[in-house]
Amino acid sequence: MEEEGPGATVHLLCLAASSGVPLFCRSSRGGIPTRQQLPFSVIGSLNGVHMFGQNLEVQLNSAKTEDTTVVWRSFHDSITLIVLSSEEDTSELRLERLLQMVFGAMVLFVGLEELTDIRNVERVKKELRASYHLIDSFLGDSELIGDLTQCVDCVIPPEGSPLQEALSGFAEATGTAFVSLVVSGRVVAATDSWWRLGTPESVLLPWLVGSLPPQAARDYPVYLPHGSPTVPHRLLTLTLLPGLELCLLCGPRPSLSQLDQQLLERWWQPLLDPLRACLPLGPRALPDGFPLHADILGLLLLHLELKRCLFTVEPSGDKEPSAEQRRRLLRNFYTMVTTTQFPPESGPAEKAEDVVRSTQLPKACYVVLGPGSGWQFVALHLGMRLLLLLLSPQSPTYGLRSLATNTLHALTPLL
Amino acid sequence: MAAACTRRSPDARDEDEDRDSENADSVWGSDTSAGSGSTDFEPEWLDSVQKSGELFYLELSEDEEESIFPETSTVNHVRFSENEIIIEEDNYKERKKYQPKLKQFTKILKGKRLLPKCYNKKNSNDNGPVSILKHQSHQKAGIVVQQMHKDVNIYVNPKKLTVSKAKEQLKLLEVLFGIIHQNKWSWRRIGKQGSGERLVVHGLLPGGSAMKTGQVLIGDVLVAVNDVAVTSENIERVLSCIPGPMQVKLTFENAYAVKKETIQPRKKKTQINTSDLVKLFWGEEVDSIQTPPHSPHIIMYLTLHLDSETSKEEQEILYHYPKSEASQKLKNVRGIFLTLCDMLENVTGTQVTSSSLLLNGKQIHIAYLKEFDKLLLIGLPAEEVPLPQLRNMIEDVSQTLKFMYASLDGALQQAKLHSSVYPSAQQYDVSSSVLLDNLPGVQWLVLPQEIKMELDTALSDLEAADFSELSEDYYDMRRLYTILGSALFYKGYLICSHLPKDDLIDIAIYCRHYYLLPLAARQRIGQLIIWKEVFPRLHLQHSTDSNFEVFQEPEGRYFLLIVGLKHYMLCVLLEAGGCSSKANGNPGPDCIYIDQAKTTLQQLEGVDSYINEQLISSSNTCLSCADWFLAGPHEKVDSLTTSPVLSRLQSTSKTAVSPTCRRTLFGDSSLKTRKPSPSRSSGGSDHGCEGEEGVSTNLHTTPDAVWKQRESQGSGGSEESGALLKITKKKSTFPNPFHLGNLKKDLSEKELEVYNTMKLTSGPENTLFHYLALETVQGIFITPTQEEVAQLSGSVHPQLIKNFHQCCLSIRAVFQQTLVKEKKKALNGEDHSHSTNSTVSSFSPVKEYGVLFECSPENWTDQKKTPPVMTYWVVGRLFLHPKPQELYVCFHDSVTEIAIEMAFKLFFGLTL
Repeated sequence: MEEEGPGATVHLLCLAASSGVPLFCRSSRGGIPTRQQLPFSVIGSLNGVHMFGQNLEVQLNSAKTEDTTVVWRSFHDSITLIVLSSEEDTSELRLERLLQMVFGAMVLFVGLEELTDIRNVERVKKELRASYHLIDSFLGDSELIGDLTQCVDCVIPPEGSPLQEALSGFAEATGTAFVSLVVSGRVVAATDSWWRLGTPESVLLPWLVGSLPPQAARDYPVYLPHGSPTVPHRLLTLTLLPGLELCLLCGPRPSLSQLDQQLLERWWQPLLDPLRACLPLGPRALPDGFPLHADILGLLLLHLELKRCLFTVEPSGDKEPSAEQRRRLLRNFYTMVTTTQFPPESGPAEKAEDVVRSTQLPKACYVVLGPGSGWQFVALHLGMRLLLLLLSPQSPTYGLRSLATNTLHALTPLL
Repeated sequence: MAAACTRRSPDARDEDEDRDSENADSVWGSDTSAGSGSTDFEPEWLDSVQKSGELFYLELSEDEEESIFPETSTVNHVRFSENEIIIEEDNYKERKKYQPKLKQFTKILKGKRLLPKCYNKKNSNDNGPVSILKHQSHQKAGIVVQQMHKDVNIYVNPKKLTVSKAKEQLKLLEVLFGIIHQNKWSWRRIGKQGSGERLVVHGLLPGGSAMKTGQVLIGDVLVAVNDVAVTSENIERVLSCIPGPMQVKLTFENAYAVKKETIQPRKKKTQINTSDLVKLFWGEEVDSIQTPPHSPHIIMYLTLHLDSETSKEEQEILYHYPKSEASQKLKNVRGIFLTLCDMLENVTGTQVTSSSLLLNGKQIHIAYLKEFDKLLLIGLPAEEVPLPQLRNMIEDVSQTLKFMYASLDGALQQAKLHSSVYPSAQQYDVSSSVLLDNLPGVQWLVLPQEIKMELDTALSDLEAADFSELSEDYYDMRRLYTILGSALFYKGYLICSHLPKDDLIDIAIYCRHYYLLPLAARQRIGQLIIWKEVFPRLHLQHSTDSNFEVFQEPEGRYFLLIVGLKHYMLCVLLEAGGCSSKANGNPGPDCIYIDQAKTTLQQLEGVDSYINEQLISSSNTCLSCADWFLAGPHEKVDSLTTSPVLSRLQSTSKTAVSPTCRRTLFGDSSLKTRKPSPSRSSGGSDHGCEGEEGVSTNLHTTPDAVWKQRESQGSGGSEESGALLKITKKKSTFPNPFHLGNLKKDLSEKELEVYNTMKLTSGPENTLFHYLALETVQGIFITPTQEEVAQLSGSVHPQLIKNFHQCCLSIRAVFQQTLVKEKKKALNGEDHSHSTNSTVSSFSPVKEYGVLFECSPENWTDQKKTPPVMTYWVVGRLFLHPKPQELYVCFHDSVTEIAIEMAFKLFFGLTL
């Protein structure tokens, strides 16, 4: 398996924990799904070491070689997920979160019952095929970052309040509490109930909507991994404008046919212009004309309590590096910052910290990359918000913090 | 000593002639006989030399002993000879700090090492070093087993114990002395004797009086209390008879020495050798050592190559430590490690480096090191040692082992080295030591040019080896050893080194490993002589380059000679073969070289006081104490604008002169900070007055001019960042008639300080709290000395430093990744198509990493006011070109700093 192909490979294995039967294997190379898979013997021994340890009360979590990281995770003692990644700068944190998302996706399509109590392996395999599409999108390069941050990717519409009003009015009219507007996988506006969705599904649902091929309307049965893992709900999507979809999460009612043209037109026709203004927001996340410093090449703002994030690499898009590289850089920076300086617990509840930490709190950090690139990164932690910036090399290092502080203050009313 | 040498020379010469023809043992024999023939100058350490030629001899200086045992009449000889261990101790009283006097000590024990039981059969006729074979055959012939007894006096006060006593058996032993004896344990070492009632020390309670003595070792057998013989049956009765507070004499039999079974001589050795450090070492690591069942850790050496025929249980384990319950679990899952190692290498093409697993709810990191078909594993809890450090540690351990035993195989397969790895592993617990010990460097003390030159000259003289007995002309024969280089330590700080980096680091790790550096720092060594054959990596890696232009290392053998005297330690690396004569057998320490090294140290005794001053006073940079910045909010502004640097200057100047008056004066100056800050000029004059005051308080005869000058320059330094250069220049041109006569002698502390007082930060105030600069080419780092940090006192500051170290660790981990990648890139530099893609998107060459911390006093009781908050940066900077250097600084947030500027100041003129 030493192919020197372009890009790194990621292998994801899913096995039934009790029998060791592989349920599926997905691989990607350089961000693109491939069919090339690990030999069966390797799959067997990867699962074997994990099982062996479990029998002896030792739980194997991860292993690293010089260029590859392997992470094991078993869910509900019935499903074992193994990921093997040779991506550069890959971290255990990233892979662990990936596995959580993958398991969430499996539950989303199949339901928890089916996965915890596997009677017919073949049937489960077949049912899981529906989730391949979503799972593959996690393995590849995505424009979103919710899989890593476990926060909902959002965008800030230029005119938020009319959209919000229309949304609640529409929700009332249809009798569903969970309604949201999604533009290419990012939430533009949502009802309060939608925002209260638990962690995996709040990220998974917009992601799913964004990754599906465009359709005028959909009616999807989904299980909610956190909220309702055994009882399926219906996810209705209606395309208002190409790329802009209205999502409803509901029980048996209303049926798709009830959401007729008339209802839609009544609520959304008057808002056509604000809706149009949302369309280009996808990758940009921030409304046009929002004052950002010229040195900022990428931005990630997280609200750790609300679990929402803004992620964009659009500013000064004509400069180096490319958007994809910027995304990678920011993802890497996020991982580094989260593993070292701002561990996830320190966000919402600052209690499980040792003595030193409690008196010596990290507030900000910056990284300057060396010759050849010179990109600079700065992270600023203020209250519930965490801001990460990717900056161009010409920005002075000593000014990074004030730049970040100013940007954060400017962004604070938005998220 | 030099005189003794010359007198000895006629004999020595005769012997030297024999040397070439005879093998090592007989050489040594003749040496000994010659020595005894002329008893006057027989070196004390002569008896201590092992058959293998190794020597480890440590003697504390007399005055040190007296100062240590002011009220004791201890004569405590620990003597190791070939077949017995004799520790003779008379009574001594121990209360607060007991530090044994080590009269004589060798590593001879090591030779007697037997293999662990399970491998006894298999390996008994293994071909170990000659010495081992010899000892084994020796043992077969049957040695007279010498019972070794030692008496330990412990002060007990049974009345203080309100604890419900003796609920279970042997409870008193635990309560009174902190000795744990568990009845049910089948203690292997005793089993043979079959006397189950013997009171074996199975453990020591942390902080218990037995442990404090440093004399009671695990595995010892308690045979008598106040000369009453005790067993597990009567111990409770005997102990309950203790009426009140009194000294109790416990007599122990050393089971290890007597049984000569699977003991770990090295561990014992370290314990005895450094038992003055036991407190230091154990005190900090008590948890992990004393409660191994709770903190799982393991070291294993496994072979990947299995004989399918002999499918014996556990045959793949070549070495395993420790044998606690938790580590047993880890041992049981060794299958995982073996499989991972094998499989992942097949799948990914790269070797497995680490894995982490969960055991008893604790995360444990395992680091792997594969060499040929053997696998070395170290597993430690994540909370104690973070993964990047563990990776460094395993490299370090294997490096040390190779340095000492040529190869991992040699070291571990013969299970020579049991616990030596282990304590070193444990030592990484304390965060500061984690950082400093992991650095590929030695702490260097920056000294003024003059002193440094003197040291350099002294070492060069020794290294040249062209005088008296060292010269080839003297005996008209090839010399035995070439001196490759030497390094001089003072109180654990490197002050001079003429060794290449790799050698220096190898030696430093060796010293660290035996706690020689802290030993030298804490007490004056009467005499320390270590002689050992070593295997330095630098000289033993044979270049595959067949080009004859390239220098080829001779196929010689290498010996490490360490001579310690007072606070000095001189490490000399010798080469036999090459241009000196080849070494045969196991040559023992050579008197001539030892004497010359000693002479060198004696020469340097005069400089001692200067170095010491340098160490105690500010070494080269001003530091601020974090607490100064944490004054109340309304005072903050003032203190920020004036006080820290000034008070720092004052306090150091005063400390240098008379440490006792420091506190009061210091208090003074900090009081001053509360005052509304005067304008700069008036502050200066104010300052000058204080300087006068300082002169009057201490009766040091110093001309005022010097003081004034110092003051002006000091404040000048606070205004200009590049103060160092300027000051030195001024100094050298300043015509001072007072100093013309004996310049060197008059390098009083003030001048030294002026030379070196350097402010790293910009802006009017000194905002630097701590720094660490690592120079990887020379293998040294500089950081404020402990003495310096201690001067700053304060309550927040130590925490800040701890946090600084922790933060540096994580920053350094990132830097190390960068270095690895850079190396990889350099290796396949042509492959640009691939690398350009990865460099842009990857996070790779991180060159600067800063973290901003916010801290507030720990115990803030005032409910009304919010605690004052201080913010500070910890910034790490990595320099790849021209040579890899790392710099970590910690400074207050008030001034924006440019790390590269600070780095320039710190690294400027930093050459060995």
